[in-house]
Formats: sequence, structure tokens, C-alpha cells
Amino acid sequence: MKTKQKISLLRVSSVMLVLLILLGLCSVLSLAVGSAGYSIQEILKALFSQEDSPVKTIVLNLRLPRIILAILIGSSLSAAGALLQSVMRNPLADPGTIGVSAGAGTAATTILLIFPQLSASVPLFAFGGAALACVLIYTMAWKGGVDPTRIILSGVAINSVLGAYNSLLQLMNSDSLEGVLAFMNGSLSGRGWHQVQIAACYASAGLVMAFLCIKSANALQLGEEMAKSLGVKVSLNRVLLSAVAAFLAAATVSVAGMIGFVGLVVPHIARLLVGSDYKVMMPVSVVLGAVVLLAADTVGRTVVPGMEIPVGIVMAVCGGPFFLYLLRKKGKVSGN
Amino acid sequence: MEIRAEQLQIGYGDYIAVQDMDIQVKKGEITTIVGPNGSGKSTVLKALTRLLKYQKGAVWFNQQDLNRLESKQLAQHVGVLPQKHSAPPDFKVRDLVGYGRMPYQKWYSKNSGEDEKVIDWALEVTGTASLQDKLIQECSGGESQRVWIATVLSQQPEILFLDEPTTYLDISHQLETMHLVRKLNRESGIGVVMVLHDLGQALEISDRIVVMKNGRKYCEGTPQEVITQKMMKDVYDVDCQIVRIPGREKPLIAYREII
Repeated sequence: MKTKQKISLLRVSSVMLVLLILLGLCSVLSLAVGSAGYSIQEILKALFSQEDSPVKTIVLNLRLPRIILAILIGSSLSAAGALLQSVMRNPLADPGTIGVSAGAGTAATTILLIFPQLSASVPLFAFGGAALACVLIYTMAWKGGVDPTRIILSGVAINSVLGAYNSLLQLMNSDSLEGVLAFMNGSLSGRGWHQVQIAACYASAGLVMAFLCIKSANALQLGEEMAKSLGVKVSLNRVLLSAVAAFLAAATVSVAGMIGFVGLVVPHIARLLVGSDYKVMMPVSVVLGAVVLLAADTVGRTVVPGMEIPVGIVMAVCGGPFFLYLLRKKGKVSGN
Repeated sequence: MEIRAEQLQIGYGDYIAVQDMDIQVKKGEITTIVGPNGSGKSTVLKALTRLLKYQKGAVWFNQQDLNRLESKQLAQHVGVLPQKHSAPPDFKVRDLVGYGRMPYQKWYSKNSGEDEKVIDWALEVTGTASLQDKLIQECSGGESQRVWIATVLSQQPEILFLDEPTTYLDISHQLETMHLVRKLNRESGIGVVMVLHDLGQALEISDRIVVMKNGRKYCEGTPQEVITQKMMKDVYDVDCQIVRIPGREKPLIAYREII
């Protein structure tokens, strides 16, 4: 009976190892490819030489920060999605469910179209908008406690109101939508070390909190009554986990705009790979999220020469069909 | 240890599900709540274990107000197996049983040696030790019911609340569950409070039976006092005879023949 335990441990560590290797490979590849392609030798030579060269500038100031950003954002979104799926016990829960995307979108659209002089502070407003929408949804859903169904339904209602407002604003300003579109289709283009610093602060704080939530996420998976009778304060834990998820997602939105699907799909894939126990599912989600987003961004900026496809679009285009494939192939994507 | 409710009224919004309910359950006894569908059995069970708020009345845990107890403290004395329970199907049996130790742990702590011993005991006593490395989804209905009971047992409760523990099980697993409940009660002195639909089983296993009708207590007492022809007619509108069979300690319920 001990052997079976060892096998599952072996499985988890091999999955983790493969993911880490993939992450390494993707990073190296992403450093090398782009509108200007370099070989590994060229990159190494440039990095270790004292003089400045175009290779060094591009790799160090453009590609490297972007890679780190993709890793941070992919991890954060996946962790956020994993937490929310445990809170909602619903396979469709993701940061969009609790209004993070709609809130950030509303704030960003408002600033970009009505107060363009404040455009530089869009990240700050987006973060605030995401947090506000989230608080609003939970306040509306609160009735002597928070019930997942009520969160989801009040989320749908508030998301649709905010969505309508966004559409109206865009219709009325259809000639100056460039910035809005860039925000709505989350992109890592042109992000540098400054954004990396911000994202690193948010993501490390958020991910530490997410890992501290593991035990509570597991307990919520047992269902409300069972968790309660085990002495778990269910509503409090739901709010705490959601707050951590909202923080992670809002931070990424403020840095990179709206990137869908990572938070939804990655936790499901992680669950299929290693099971529903958050002790292993959470770390696997975090690393897998980094791999997926980095790969998507690398594809997005290289697949069509001379053009950048925003990572949000790549994620949606590749994520959707892959999710359907999983759904049909494995047939056991479960919400809890 | 005992839990005592006085003049409980429980409802959802304007709807009153249970009223004027007095009930007392204690360690060492098997108490069964019976009654027709919708008579408020599960509602009472939930109010006694604080899964549901009551509107009027009071619930006492020993001499203390039940509402003042810390969640974890309550969970160390009282285990509840809800009627509907679900875990992710890919949870391992031993891990699930281990969740019963949560009331004794801090939010960051892992299972201690003591926790592992209790888990071993819970697996042993429910006959699920051989399943411990299986996944929940690999267990049969009867097996998984025993695993859930093991989970609640690893809380080391003094009183165990089981909401319809035999519903959805075939007769052999129903009896298996009843034998397990009896054994736990006899050997470990655990008090058991159950909601049951099968009156024959209730009659067989209970020390006390509480009969409910339309959200109120109809009567309570020992099985022989309570399960009578008159009660069956009044509460269930069912005709039957209570018959004795030589060699059996408890009587049987013989329902009117279906013609």
C-alpha cells in the first residue's frame, strides 16, 4: 500500500519537473526568437561582453523583462482561477466571474476615453476598478453569508451592466478606441523592467497568500455543510480566498490588460494532470500558467512576421479548442 | 455530554419548517428522528449541529449556549455527516478521512503523529483500512459511505449526527451501516443521532425515537413505546400490525398487504 503512495508522489514530481524544463526551454527560445533572431551563442557572447550591442539591448531590455512578466502574470492568473474554482465549486469560475475583468475594463475605458489626460495612471485605475467591481458583487451576493450561486449570479448581473456601459462608451468614441482595444486584448508588448518590478511585488505577495490558502481551498471542496461541521468558517474563507484571487487578477490586469482563459483553463489542466488536492494542484497550476502564457506570448510576437498578436488573443484562440479537446478526451473536467 | 433544544422554531424566510420542538440527545445513546417527508427531521438535525440558524428557542450544549461555542470546539465534540456530501472524486480515501482532523489543527499545520493514529483508528473501526490508498471514485456506494463515516469519526466526536445514512444504499449496505453504528455506540460509547426512513431499522437500533409530523414533535420514547399501530396511522396514514416473532427481541412492522 505504500508503493501506491510513492507512485503518486513520483507522478507529481515528474509532472513538475517536465513543466520546469518546459519553462526553461520556452524562456531560452523566447529570448532567441523575434523580429530579429539570434542564436544562443550570439546571445551569450553579447551578454558577457562589456560593450553595448543591439543584441544585448534587445535581449536584456525588451525580451527578458517580457519573459519574466509573462511568467509572473501566467502564474498569478492561474492561481487566482484555482482559488475561485474552489470557492465557487464551479468549473466555469475564473477571475471574470467576480468582476475583475469588467471592473478593470470599465475603469480603463472611462479614463482612456473621457479623461485621456490621466492615461498614464490607467494601471492604477484598472486595479481600483477591478477591486470595486469585486466588492460590489460580493456585497450584492451577501445574505447572512456568501453562497457561490449568488456570487455567480450577481456577478453575471453586474458584469452585464458594466459591459453595456463599456460598449456605450466605445460606441460614442469609436474614433479613439486604439488604447481601449489594446487594454481589452491584454498584451505584453512594450512592457519593460518598470512593469516587471510592479508585477513582481504584486505577484510574489499574492502567490504567497495563495499558497497559504491551500488548506482552506481543500476544505471548501468538501462542500459547505461538511466544511462547516469540520469547524471551518465557510463564508469567511470564501471571502478571503476570493480576495486573494481578486488581488492577483487585478494586479495582472493593471499591468497587462485583460487576458482571458488562463485562469479558467490552466487549473483544469493541472487537475487532470495531478488531481484535485490543492497541495499539488496549486503549485502545478502556477508553473503551468507560467509556461502557457509565456508560450502564448512568444507565439503571438513571432507567428506573423512584423506584427504582434496580443497574448490575450492567442490565449483565446488556442485555449478554446484545447479546452474542448480536453473536455471530449478526458470527459472528467470537474468543478471542485 | 448532551445537546438540548427548547421550543425551537426553524424556518426559511416566512416559511416555518419546525416549531415548538423540544429534543435532547446525549452521549452513549442512539436517538433516531423519524417522520414523513417534509416533516422537518433534517432541519432539526441541522439546527442541533448549528448548520442552520433557528428563529426562536434555544439550543444548549451541556450548560452552554450552542451559538457561543467556537466552531472548532464544537467540531471536536460533534461530527455531522450531511445527507448530501461530495468530495472531489480523485481525493484519496486516507486524505479524505484526514480532513476529520481539521478541528484539532491550526490552518497551517500538518497531520501530527497523534492525528495519524486517530486516522488509523477511524479506518480500522469502519473496516476501510484496506481502501485507504484508493481514490473515492474507486469505492462502491457502501464503501464510500463507510469512508465518510470514518472521516467524521476521525473528529473523535462524542455525538455523531447522521442524516439519512442509508438512503441510496442497497439493503446489504444499509444493514452494514446500521451494524457499524451499533458497534461504534457499544464499543466507543459514541452517541448517535440519525434521521432514518426505514422504521424497521429505527425500531431495531434506537434507544430513543423521536417522531415528527408537520414540523412538530408527535411523540418520543423507546422504540416499543413509539412505534405503534396508532402512530403509524396518525403520522404516516399507514395500516400495519406490530408483530412479535419468537426468538427475536424486537417486534417487526407488518404493513397491510398490497392487493
